[in-house]
Amino acid sequence: MNLGRGVALVGGATTKFGVRAATWAELAQEAGQALFQAIPALTAADVDSLFVGAAEPERFAFQSHVAPFAAEQLGLAPRRVLQRTELACASGQSAIRSAFASIASGLSDVAVAVGVEKMNLPSMAEANSSMACVMDRAWDGAHGATAPPFFAMVAQRHMLEHGTTEEAFAAVSEKNHKFANSNPNAQFYDKTFDRAKLGRLPLVAPPLRLGDCSSMTDGAAAVVLVAEELVSKYTDVPVRVRGTGQYADFHNLANAGSLTDWVGLEHASREAYRSAGIGPSDVDFAETHDCFTISEIVEYEALGFCPKGEGGQFALDGRSSLGGDVVVNPRGGLLGCGHPLGATGIAQAVEVYDQFARRVPAARQVPDPRWALVHNLSGSANVHSVMIYEGAS
Amino acid sequence: MSTEAPRERRPAPVLAPAASAESGTTSPPETPKKPPAPPLPFLLDFFPLEDAKQTRLSAFFDNLRAGRLTTTRCRKDGRVRWPPRVVCPECHTSELDWVDLPVDGRIYAFSAVLMGAPLGMESEVPFVVGLVEVDGVPFRMFGRIVGTPWDQCHVGQKVRAEPYDLPDGRVFYRFRTVPA
Repeated sequence: MNLGRGVALVGGATTKFGVRAATWAELAQEAGQALFQAIPALTAADVDSLFVGAAEPERFAFQSHVAPFAAEQLGLAPRRVLQRTELACASGQSAIRSAFASIASGLSDVAVAVGVEKMNLPSMAEANSSMACVMDRAWDGAHGATAPPFFAMVAQRHMLEHGTTEEAFAAVSEKNHKFANSNPNAQFYDKTFDRAKLGRLPLVAPPLRLGDCSSMTDGAAAVVLVAEELVSKYTDVPVRVRGTGQYADFHNLANAGSLTDWVGLEHASREAYRSAGIGPSDVDFAETHDCFTISEIVEYEALGFCPKGEGGQFALDGRSSLGGDVVVNPRGGLLGCGHPLGATGIAQAVEVYDQFARRVPAARQVPDPRWALVHNLSGSANVHSVMIYEGAS
Repeated sequence: MSTEAPRERRPAPVLAPAASAESGTTSPPETPKKPPAPPLPFLLDFFPLEDAKQTRLSAFFDNLRAGRLTTTRCRKDGRVRWPPRVVCPECHTSELDWVDLPVDGRIYAFSAVLMGAPLGMESEVPFVVGLVEVDGVPFRMFGRIVGTPWDQCHVGQKVRAEPYDLPDGRVFYRFRTVPA
């Protein structure tokens, strides 16, 4: 893989995530405001390209053509590349990968990637329908396939094949909620969840309980990526894009193969590691897609942080927390922050930048990080997208 | 959603087991718990369009109505795939034949929707969905599983596919647990 010319992340910001009394457009405006506050040297005129991660604005906000709509909310007039990226739960990372590719190729110099999702509607059943049409709607969705029962089946098979326990699921949720308690923008910033409390929450799709599932969340986030030669205008602590990989191997659930071997993530992460010239043991912290507790467990395995089948024990032993092998989801994860689909991948990149820039509270600061990995899955874990960043040394 | 007037309601037909499958009795069709809700707007309706005016796969639904669960097989590479298609994804030929699927299988994985059901499915909560290993085909089929409460279902449990009628006259398929 040829990564083209150098591209760096020079900063970013997120809105408050949660059940927000704010529309899609208002969330986009808030993200723009936060972005310009976070990067004082940035002017609207600098921004030549805008990539808008938005999964389902047509269904959640009855708004299409959201790329120029977002540009207007942020006060931008893109003159090189303007586009929306849609990849369901990975729409945000898709915007960043597209911005990266556009700068690496020379088409863009200064690009904003913004992600916006408004998911809490007066009718949550309608919102649930929108989530179900991420699947093959006519042949899977029509039976009632939404994310919780799908990932519940992954959990059931992992328990059956590897002896993984509900306590391991709770360990992941407890860790990520604890990290979210140091993140004021997280949906569950002021809520505490210990394992005993998590075990008493109602079942959503057995064996998954409420605390095993990320939420329907409103939120927006934005980052700026620039060509290497422009870095010094914006920051002293640039974060370089060093590797990326993506893999898609099925859509209809009939073609899912093993539910517990995420072969697509193995492919995507190996490609990303290869392009960055590192391996799993080099990663200091990772922002992974914990849409469900079981997802994070399978991700430890497929990313190579632990052997296959041992993801549950990895969590129970604290090896994915501060002081462990690799700090996973210090931001609070999707479980603690909520999961506004298009904003999630961008908010993960904001955390990567803020960790390297030492801008996060001590309770979640990874000591002396050099390498960070970001992962998003989408749909029924049928697409995996990975990026690897290196902090300034 | 069909643009045609709703078809007349009739009892759901029973799928005949494929020739290779063991014979057995099938439970009577499940009656809806509550009266059907008013039809949903097209973009909130999950079920496939069935009419030949709207899909080239209308034979699937005609076959289902006649008691046959079918899919397409590529004439060139001989592979049976799910869901049915109009072009083979390998050979890119449209020379596909309708073939009967076996109707017997076993649960590979399942869960139940206890919260967060889509619009139009709320009255069916709790309901069971699962991946079924169907005898003799190289894929699993996802579907609604009826006949056993969710907390008594188990991996490996025998199920059989059956058609059922939608309130507006369309037809769809699901799995029913088979008594041991």
